[in-house]
Amino acid sequence: MTHPFYKDNREFIKALEANSELVTIQQEVDWDLEMGAIVRRVCEKKLAAPYFKRIKDYPGFEALGAPLATYSRLAIAMGMNPKAPVPEISDEYVRRTTGNPIPSVLVDPKNAPCKENILSGKDADLFKLPGPMVHDGDGGRYLCTWHFVVAKDPDTGMINWGMYRQMVFDEKTMVGPVLPFSDMGKMFYGKYVPRNKPMPFATVIGCDPLSGVAACAPSPIPEDQFTGMLMGKPVELVKCETCDLEVPAHAEIIIEGEVIPNLWIEEAPFGEYTGYRTSPREPRTVYRIKTITYRNNPIITVSNMGIPTDEGQLLRSFSLGLEMRRLLESQGMPITGVYMLPESTHHIVVVGVRPAYSNIASQIANLIFGSKSSPWFHMVIVVDDQTDIYNKDEIIHALATKCHPMRGIRKYEHAAGTPLYPFADPEDRRWSRSTQILFDCTFPLHWPKSDVPIKVSFNNVYPKEIQEKVLKHWKNYGFKD
Amino acid sequence: MAKKEYDTFVLSDLASVPEEQEIELIVRDLTPADRRYKYRSTYVIALVSRSESKYPDRLWIRLGRGQLQEKPWSVKILRELDKVPKG
Repeated sequence: MTHPFYKDNREFIKALEANSELVTIQQEVDWDLEMGAIVRRVCEKKLAAPYFKRIKDYPGFEALGAPLATYSRLAIAMGMNPKAPVPEISDEYVRRTTGNPIPSVLVDPKNAPCKENILSGKDADLFKLPGPMVHDGDGGRYLCTWHFVVAKDPDTGMINWGMYRQMVFDEKTMVGPVLPFSDMGKMFYGKYVPRNKPMPFATVIGCDPLSGVAACAPSPIPEDQFTGMLMGKPVELVKCETCDLEVPAHAEIIIEGEVIPNLWIEEAPFGEYTGYRTSPREPRTVYRIKTITYRNNPIITVSNMGIPTDEGQLLRSFSLGLEMRRLLESQGMPITGVYMLPESTHHIVVVGVRPAYSNIASQIANLIFGSKSSPWFHMVIVVDDQTDIYNKDEIIHALATKCHPMRGIRKYEHAAGTPLYPFADPEDRRWSRSTQILFDCTFPLHWPKSDVPIKVSFNNVYPKEIQEKVLKHWKNYGFKD
Repeated sequence: MAKKEYDTFVLSDLASVPEEQEIELIVRDLTPADRRYKYRSTYVIALVSRSESKYPDRLWIRLGRGQLQEKPWSVKILRELDKVPKG
């Protein structure tokens, strides 16, 4: 079944405009910090996405900022009501992505707008693209902040789309971190580097929104097929010019080249998803480019990572949380749901559970911390089914009142982490080491029933008929909501 | 002629950066003729000095997490290095 979707970024921009989720900026904007500052403020104030029509020094180019930084924009991307609540969006996402993957289809280059312009040889010059200086103090111009990198496993042919930030070094070179536990890291450092072979890559900028959602998702399903599941129809791909990779035919810009083994160039610092500039300037993975293809009047996409909420935080939280939900459900855990707070920069996983037996929270944490995605987060909060996992106030209340400061907290030492954790000691960051922690916010089952505190809330301590009466007369009392 | 301006990131202790001797560093061009090339990075062999007037061009210093130091140094770029293999 085909779901409502937008085949490219341009259709999505129109949909954002129709839903008052877009501000079109006709005034010329400087790629050097000004554009980044606008996008940052938009994220911090949760405003409509800025659509930049004129970029200084780059006539003919446009930019879309913060394309998916709110749940409303995610709902629009999925063809849903922009006011759909998070649980509804989550259920729809899980429904669409459960079942058989939908393989992509290959289209003729004549039908691929991303081939409208082709720059190769000396003309393939990264400075011909309006890569923004996103934050003052960044290590370079980050052309690729909302994009994905396509790579292929040399043995299995398995395709990976992943968001790996890329900084422009010179005309032909980009640099960025590829962490060893990431899918592309396992491919590159596990297979290409030992063979001293360059790895072909294609960077996709300005893709349709659901391809971007898929590239963020930690699913084991290849992302092109995962996009097909989200769309309900195959995503259209086209062959690259210089390598055996395929890219979305309707994307705005494609950069093709090779990831070079055994060469590292300094990259960063960069304002990161944690809301800090944490990982230092260090030698990182090198991308050497060969060809750039792009649509007429291309529209780059710009994400500005910093304090919440940007699309990296929102979408990674969304999809990581739902992947944990799948994991727990696959093990038959009696959960009521899983939610990752975007404000936690996907560091906190909240799990709602019907406490069916003692220490169920530990079992949940063991499963979550044992998953392949666990280096990306370090806190699990388990609450009972009386707590709304989507309500921050209720979570804080449960944490402050139900979690015993000794037996309710369990530490998982010597865990894998990332170099991006602001709280980690410098040496732990260097070696991607972390500690993980469980906050068990369920009351012990062995307590006598008469000793279990009763939650005092409107929904919990008044008879149903009184609640209904009060709600019926609420506006008559003089209240608005 | 106006001074050219560059910046560089110093990842070690600032005091340990040797002055008035050839060192290798990565500089970013802050004043290119074509503004589209601003922040282009290059490996160079250069002489640097904490004195702003010692060498012909200005060199701004940033620390590992981007902190800009208040006073610029000066730099004389002797030659560019081609450390990245051609595609």
